[in-house]
Amino acid sequence: MRKTECEESGIQMDFPDNLLPAFFLPGPPGLSDSPASYLAPAWSEYMQLLKPPQTQDPSINPQHEASYVTKWGRWKSDTPGPLPFLRPCADPWDPELMSQDLLFRGRAKQPTRAKATIDVIEQLNHFLWDHGDIAFGPLGMLLQENFNLAETKKSHKNKMVMNTEWLLRDLSGYQPKGCPWAHLSTRQRRFSLLGGTVLGEEVENLLGGLLHEELETHWKRLLLDEASTGGALGWVPGDKPHHGQLVYPTGRAHNQLNFQKVKLSPTNEPQALGDPSHILLRGPVRQVVTRTIQGEALLAVRSDHHCALWKLEHQGPPEPLQVLEMEKEATGISLSPHLPGELAVCTRSGAVCLWSPQDGLQQIHKDPETFVFKDPSSWRWADFTAHPRMLTVADRTGIRLTDVRGPSDCGELLFRIGAEASCQRGERVLLAQYLGTPSPLPLSPTLHLVCTQFSLYLLDERLPLVPMLKWNHGLLSPPLLAQLLPPPCPEAPLPLLLGGLGGHLRMLHLSGGSGCTPQLAAPPQSLPSLIDSLPGFPVLEPHGQQLLQDRLKAPLTGLAATVPPGCPSPTMLLFQLSAAGDVFYQRLWLQPDTSSENGGSPSTDCTEDLGLNSHSQTSATSFLGTVSEPSAISWNPQAVACCRRWLKTLLQVPPTLPSWTPPTFSQHHLRWLKKENKGKVRESLQAAMAEGRLLLQGDLGPLPPSDPPPAHEPFGMEDKLSERLEASWERKGAIWWDGQRDGSQLPRKRQSREKRRTQLSSSFSSIRSTSDFSDVNSPLSHPPKTPSPLHKMSETSQSLELSQELWVKNIPRERRQTLRDYLAVLPSPDSGSCSTSQFQNPRTQAPFSPFPENSSALCSQNPNSQSLFSPEPGFNSVFHSQNSSIQNLPTRHTPSLGGSQSLRKKPRMGF
Amino acid sequence: MAGIAFSPLYYLDMDAFSEELMGVVQNDDQVEVSKDPVPEIHLPWLSQHMQSTGSHGQKGTNFAQTTSICLNIIQEALLKHQWQRASEFLQCYLQTLEDINSQKRQIAPEIIWKLGSTILYHHPKSNVETFSAFADRMKNIGVQNYLKISLQHALYLLHNGMVEDAYRNLNQAESWRYGEMSASQEKLIKLIQAYRGLLDYYTWSKKRAEVSKFDMDDFATNTATQDMHSYFRQATVNLHEIIKIPGVWDTFVKSYVEMLEFYGDQDGARQVLTDYAYDNNFPSNPNAHIYLYKFLKKEKAPEDKLISVLKILHQIVPSHKIMLEFHVLLRKSKKEEHHKLGLEVLLAVLDFSGCTENITAWSYLAKYLKQIIKGKHRDWIQEGWSSRKDWWPTFHFSYYLAKKNWKENRILALKKAFISGILLGKGCRYFMYVSKQGHKIRDKSIKTMKKFVMKHNILDSEEC
Repeated sequence: MRKTECEESGIQMDFPDNLLPAFFLPGPPGLSDSPASYLAPAWSEYMQLLKPPQTQDPSINPQHEASYVTKWGRWKSDTPGPLPFLRPCADPWDPELMSQDLLFRGRAKQPTRAKATIDVIEQLNHFLWDHGDIAFGPLGMLLQENFNLAETKKSHKNKMVMNTEWLLRDLSGYQPKGCPWAHLSTRQRRFSLLGGTVLGEEVENLLGGLLHEELETHWKRLLLDEASTGGALGWVPGDKPHHGQLVYPTGRAHNQLNFQKVKLSPTNEPQALGDPSHILLRGPVRQVVTRTIQGEALLAVRSDHHCALWKLEHQGPPEPLQVLEMEKEATGISLSPHLPGELAVCTRSGAVCLWSPQDGLQQIHKDPETFVFKDPSSWRWADFTAHPRMLTVADRTGIRLTDVRGPSDCGELLFRIGAEASCQRGERVLLAQYLGTPSPLPLSPTLHLVCTQFSLYLLDERLPLVPMLKWNHGLLSPPLLAQLLPPPCPEAPLPLLLGGLGGHLRMLHLSGGSGCTPQLAAPPQSLPSLIDSLPGFPVLEPHGQQLLQDRLKAPLTGLAATVPPGCPSPTMLLFQLSAAGDVFYQRLWLQPDTSSENGGSPSTDCTEDLGLNSHSQTSATSFLGTVSEPSAISWNPQAVACCRRWLKTLLQVPPTLPSWTPPTFSQHHLRWLKKENKGKVRESLQAAMAEGRLLLQGDLGPLPPSDPPPAHEPFGMEDKLSERLEASWERKGAIWWDGQRDGSQLPRKRQSREKRRTQLSSSFSSIRSTSDFSDVNSPLSHPPKTPSPLHKMSETSQSLELSQELWVKNIPRERRQTLRDYLAVLPSPDSGSCSTSQFQNPRTQAPFSPFPENSSALCSQNPNSQSLFSPEPGFNSVFHSQNSSIQNLPTRHTPSLGGSQSLRKKPRMGF
Repeated sequence: MAGIAFSPLYYLDMDAFSEELMGVVQNDDQVEVSKDPVPEIHLPWLSQHMQSTGSHGQKGTNFAQTTSICLNIIQEALLKHQWQRASEFLQCYLQTLEDINSQKRQIAPEIIWKLGSTILYHHPKSNVETFSAFADRMKNIGVQNYLKISLQHALYLLHNGMVEDAYRNLNQAESWRYGEMSASQEKLIKLIQAYRGLLDYYTWSKKRAEVSKFDMDDFATNTATQDMHSYFRQATVNLHEIIKIPGVWDTFVKSYVEMLEFYGDQDGARQVLTDYAYDNNFPSNPNAHIYLYKFLKKEKAPEDKLISVLKILHQIVPSHKIMLEFHVLLRKSKKEEHHKLGLEVLLAVLDFSGCTENITAWSYLAKYLKQIIKGKHRDWIQEGWSSRKDWWPTFHFSYYLAKKNWKENRILALKKAFISGILLGKGCRYFMYVSKQGHKIRDKSIKTMKKFVMKHNILDSEEC
């Protein structure tokens, strides 16, 4: 074909007609002797821009290209770290299990061969102390016939029965959770010597195995949390060029899916428009995928045992299309970039299915075994390719190209962990992503990204097994997030973002249109992570500082970036979602390089070497001369103010409940309950079981009434010290101080007074809450000072939120309905989006509704859901409509009235 | 009380577990290769977890600690493009060359070379002399890296257009001997030789241009030709070696074949290209087939031969741009099976997302469909369509695309509308939209298109 013809026809799929030289030597991974390990594609690893020569004579045409910096400039950020974009999630965040909690802390005998040893003994000890009744209960039941625990009423003829009256009497007043080395009576000593071994062994044998298993899963998850592969933050461009929305989960159980409308500005910071609307789901949201194909914006969500598909409208709530329920845990979901509404879903059973709401499910691949060698992991992943009927199916050992139309389990390998790609020992595939998009990019649409613990690979599906590019990413956390962006300006390289679960970010610059091999146009860069923003926050008291640090260190679970069109300088907006539910953003822009005038001709006077004079560094050290480095950016006042506002809200979040408190009841306690109380206790026990939460004292009947501690009487009019102390204890010291400094003491005092008042009597609550709302509508509410994203959640909504919280807590149940009706009539602060539906019990509207009778009833409402298709017992597609489940709340808090507590995290060790 | 004093049973158990899960944390490279051919997953962040717990016991000597901190700083600086900072810290990092830990001492030169070469490659004030001085020093520290560094150094020089220095470097590397060579070093030597061969080829082609360009007397021509010939011999020996090893050798193969062709060794050239394309040990490189096809085409090989080469390429990469040329070949062929394949080739090209707006392919298809219908081979269309009818309508012929194509490329829209009409009948939304729009602007071709579609679409003909 003639070249002109080709150009006008716009083929993007030219195959590079001159590939870089590379050995192709199949073999197992980790052959350190493999020559491939230091040849192409490893070129890119060190001197990224160094290309082996092509057929032209290099002396005639040296491959001297202007560096990225001189050609395009430097990516600069306004701030040294990302800034909070939305208000902190209302739920408290406590870091989950850490290695400190699991690992043995002793000193290893051979430090060089130290191993990660899980401290099972400590955990078992904890368990026995904390849950003695569970650990020893069954054994007690077995031994019960040999012991008489009751008072000595009857005389026992059987000599096999032992009276424990004296033993129990010795134990009475003895606090078993106190000092284990307290005084023991002879009787106790004898009993523990005789029974100790039996009791110990039994518990050890039965419990040890279970605990072992449990700790194993926890430790594995800690090292590699594969559930969040792909990321849970989605960006959906809107109908107007500068609008869009973010989709992300929040809540302690990550079960609340939020839709936040965002307005991008070419020159300024992005703005959140109103408060997010949200949908409450029945499972944790693990992955959010969004795509706009043929003008249709689609959203796919993966939960542990459900996958769901929504269609996003520019106006109005998202329209649910279909929900899939699966028996085995889902591990991956991806949306087709070619055909609207087509998805690929994989589960732990090893099955990969093509799923579309019209045609149902089609199983493409099912194999519990891994492709290349045997690996115990049941993680699977699927994505699309440049051919709409071909899929990639990935497991830990490799990636295979599978034709949907052909018989399953055939197809060639696109990538494998082996010597061809010069993989290391123990290397595994962690992420596989197709880099093609519905809108054509100046990059071949046949490229696939593969990430392992060590490296990043780019593969062309037309040349399987030979990576086009390899780069050692050096991330110290699993790279589970990646996104390719369109070029910030025409013909510029494409930024490829890579995010590790630990918050580390890397940016690569890919160049090479179709017809060239993809290459790095510049050495990869690191981008700041959330914890780098810590200096932007004011210094707090130690516990506040710890809270903030934990929050910023939370794992990175989502990454979304966008290149807003029509910016004066090429800009990129980077949103990050942390596991705590916080959304941060950073604006990066390409600043043309001005300091590079002398860059083209290196000065000749610094010909000295790097100081490598025969090993010794004494004679070394002649510098390359000082050069202007990318200058450090400092925190500007606006950014600091933004951080401060965010922190203020964060400190108002109630502190985390201790994830576990030892129960203060025992079976003994249950046994002696009064008859009339028993029914009530049973009910609350059942309720607790249904909700899967811990039993609390409140469930077991009321405690004996005791007088509340005497209230604090303030000394005089202004007791600042007490106030400050009080604020500090509530972790609001900084706020108190700010309040003092700003002189805006009045509203705070009023608030605290109000608080006191509400605590006094709930009967005044109705009056109080109306007064709050009149505050909202009063023109005196604080006017905005600076335009910033956090500004959106102005004080008005905060006070509204606060008042509602108090309102819910303090109003007697029977009066809430009246109030609700009353509030519904009131004008809302965010007119239009506020509706009365906010007070409905979200539990009744859970979108993941596995009950068939429910779904069939709802089916009739939904015109799209006509076919019920489930070709395999593992997959049950359930339809439902959730027209009513989309809630546009004016506040982020859902007042949980009907006990619709979101699923709490598992308490310690899952017991 | 009872239950606190436990046997160390679980200790051992968990030990075994973690070992099985992670392997040994430190110095994984040096651990003797286990009997198990497939090692367990190795997570580089495990040691971080262990250090944060403090379970690591001693963290090593101060020396080890400072060097590892230094390394981290350098790597961080590299990722922030702070070349100056990195170079300053690298000077401190050189102390690892004197590490008491012999394993660390052994890998130190390689790490320093990687870091140093990267810094010098990007440092704005670095130049070729600095880089060369650094490379020359590094070559002689630690024997293992000599070849590797030599090759990269040569490539760096080539990159800067210094062919002669590069050649000298490669020559030196090639003659390097140190004890017995490992398998990988042997391969590496081959690659170094191949690059030297490539440079010889450059000189050869320069000489060739000279000989052909200037009017020289017999004697001068003779010497030049002889000179040229010696370069040819040097180059071919080296290039011939590397091509035998499985790999991607596009550049080498091309130059080798060009030289063989020049000296009239057509058979040798054909053999090289055939081996490169069809050897099963080699990766399935589309370029290998293209080179062979182009060679055969230049040789004016029979069409059947050309078709058979492209047929294989069609199976490997159906989206290749040469497939359109293949279609023309098939269309012109006299065999009916080739005509049928011609349709499949076109349809397969249009299957790919990167080719959806390829107007050449669409117009070829429109023309070819007409021809097939006239030739009474509707069954071919049916056959090709059957595997596509469930997704092509959304992929190519949706209402959205009709609007988009009409707006952006009217000719494309017309071609596609015609095809959609034939494949999906006159009720197809794409066809309807385009014909309606065409009607509005009174496009004459619309009428003839409509007529043809009404008469010949495959839906109606099925019913007939």
